[in-house]
Amino acid sequence: MKFMDWLDERLAVRQLVKVMLTEYYVPKNINFLWSFGVLIMLVMAILFVSGIFLLMYYKPDANLAFDSVNKTIMMDVEYGWLFRHTHAVGASIMFLVLFIHMARGIYYGSYKAPREIVWITGYILFILMSATAFTGYLLPWGQMSYWAAQTITTLFEKIPFIGPDLVIWIRGNYIVEDATLTRFFALHVMLLPLLLAIFTAIHLYAVRIVGSNNEDGGELTKEDKKKGKGISFWPVFMAKEFFVMSVFLVFFFYLVFYQYKFAMDQINFIPADYLQTPHHIYPEWYFLAFYEVLRGFFFSQNLGLIAFLFSMFIVAFLPWLDTSPIKSGKHRPLYRIMFWIFVADFLFLTILGKLPATGLYAWLGFVGSIVFFIFFLALPIISRIEKKRLAGGM
Amino acid sequence: MKELKILLILIVLVLIGYWGIEPYAHSVMHGEVKQPDHTYKDVPKNIPTTGDPVKGKELFTTNCASCHGLKNDGVNPGMDIQTSITSFKVVPPDLSNIGAILDEHFLAYFIKNPQDATKNPKFAMPPMAQLSDEDIGHVVAYLKSVTKKDLTGKEITVEACGRCHSIKYQKVLSDTPKEPLKEYLGKVPPDLSVIGKAKNVEYLETFINNPQNTLPGTSMPRLGLTKESTEKVVTYLDQIADPHRDQRNTLGIWVIGYLLFMAGITFAWKKKIWKNIH
Repeated sequence: MKFMDWLDERLAVRQLVKVMLTEYYVPKNINFLWSFGVLIMLVMAILFVSGIFLLMYYKPDANLAFDSVNKTIMMDVEYGWLFRHTHAVGASIMFLVLFIHMARGIYYGSYKAPREIVWITGYILFILMSATAFTGYLLPWGQMSYWAAQTITTLFEKIPFIGPDLVIWIRGNYIVEDATLTRFFALHVMLLPLLLAIFTAIHLYAVRIVGSNNEDGGELTKEDKKKGKGISFWPVFMAKEFFVMSVFLVFFFYLVFYQYKFAMDQINFIPADYLQTPHHIYPEWYFLAFYEVLRGFFFSQNLGLIAFLFSMFIVAFLPWLDTSPIKSGKHRPLYRIMFWIFVADFLFLTILGKLPATGLYAWLGFVGSIVFFIFFLALPIISRIEKKRLAGGM
Repeated sequence: MKELKILLILIVLVLIGYWGIEPYAHSVMHGEVKQPDHTYKDVPKNIPTTGDPVKGKELFTTNCASCHGLKNDGVNPGMDIQTSITSFKVVPPDLSNIGAILDEHFLAYFIKNPQDATKNPKFAMPPMAQLSDEDIGHVVAYLKSVTKKDLTGKEITVEACGRCHSIKYQKVLSDTPKEPLKEYLGKVPPDLSVIGKAKNVEYLETFINNPQNTLPGTSMPRLGLTKESTEKVVTYLDQIADPHRDQRNTLGIWVIGYLLFMAGITFAWKKKIWKNIH
């Protein structure tokens, strides 16, 4: 204990442990959906570790990248395949847990006051994670890596005035090629992880200040905590988390060993070739819904692009679109209906996003895209109805 | 109970999504893979595939050996690689084991009309119009008599595919250099090192059986491999693309077993900590 005293005098570790863990209280009326924050941290750690091992053998050069991944890492390095599978599946599953984490926040109104900063930093983390996934997907330098990057960077061309120059600036050339690969590599392994770490810290700090939301949306007062209405983060909350993590890891490593193909597209095992466009180009599954919004307005590329940007950014404004004083969806029947329509629509768009956008699929995509926005546009209206009802009821 | 209900909803949503983006999307995009036709129905079966190997050898020496070698029987090609590249843009293969690799009816018809047999109008070998059907029977009999038995997947792959395709992760380079191949076929044929990961086994079998069926307009010729050789080639390509399969399957069991054990322990710990919490 002497060492702890010594450390405590200099770093106030005891106080830190109290504030962060043992005397940080989490409400009792939460379900396991509140575990997904911890699961995201777990997947993030898995991605960091597997990423570092891949970094030791990966070569960010258009002539070497494909072979360094598919030969050196996948065949020659001991357990190199394990790190690649883990990293690829990890990236995919990161978005699964992110989506569930966000959907839980939306359902239970976790974005509402006083948690706006938690929501905004979380949103920024989602965008950063998307950028990390997008830049990382180029690195194996396969056909799908190449053409996904080519297609998505082309989108910037539509931006008025600066578009065409901007595209060249992003790619470092007129087409996606070596310069693009090297800069995406730099962003993927340095800048983006750094920003992710910083914003994760702010996100967690903000949660420590305002506390976790719960199923009913009420807030824990200081008295509640003393009366035992909350549970301490350590050891009580984390005791449950470890069990959830173990079960999650069973699922995760089942995918890594036996069901990894969804995370590594077949077409990406053909080396990038700028002269040969694949028959079907599609992003990884986690971008499909947004991609479908882009394609949904099939009659106008410009409209599609605006809708696409809107679909990605509107989520950030939830706290100001939904001004109802009732927090949790558990007590908001109208909101709940809209929420489930939104979830179903998101799933629908994800599935459509991979199908060829022709005939019926194109129209379904259009309808799905409209429904996507209806959820957000309905929020102010639902808020007004609920406010009226509350005023009348009192 | 509530927790399990939530879990069930999550599982159902994830499964619907998975079904949509994997099996369903792939069936829409690629359609169903046609069954390979290993009997080569369209190939006429009236050319004899038996005859006198000795006569066959004579005919081979006068008609084929100016371009093709046959190492098994000590026959060297009459042409060096450079000359054959200049004349054909592709190196004519050594025919030592061709009698075992190809379907015999296909082989006979191929000698008579290579362009139609391969479904490739630009196929480099000219039709052997000077040979009668009977002669062809002798040649086929000769080719079958000299061939090695029990060829491995690698041997068949290298002999059947190696004049155009490289397998660079196995240190196999195509017999013909890239530049003439590009002139001959319009592009450099893909390297086969990880083709087993880029394509399904079923797709590869059908594609090798008749490339035009799956990829109309491709410059890859139909080669007339027997069912057995096709399967050996595909198994080989699948194996070299995924060399750590056994290690992965074994390790997976250990890792998942360990994690299940951990789940048990952590569940017990959770029970203990939460005993007094209501």
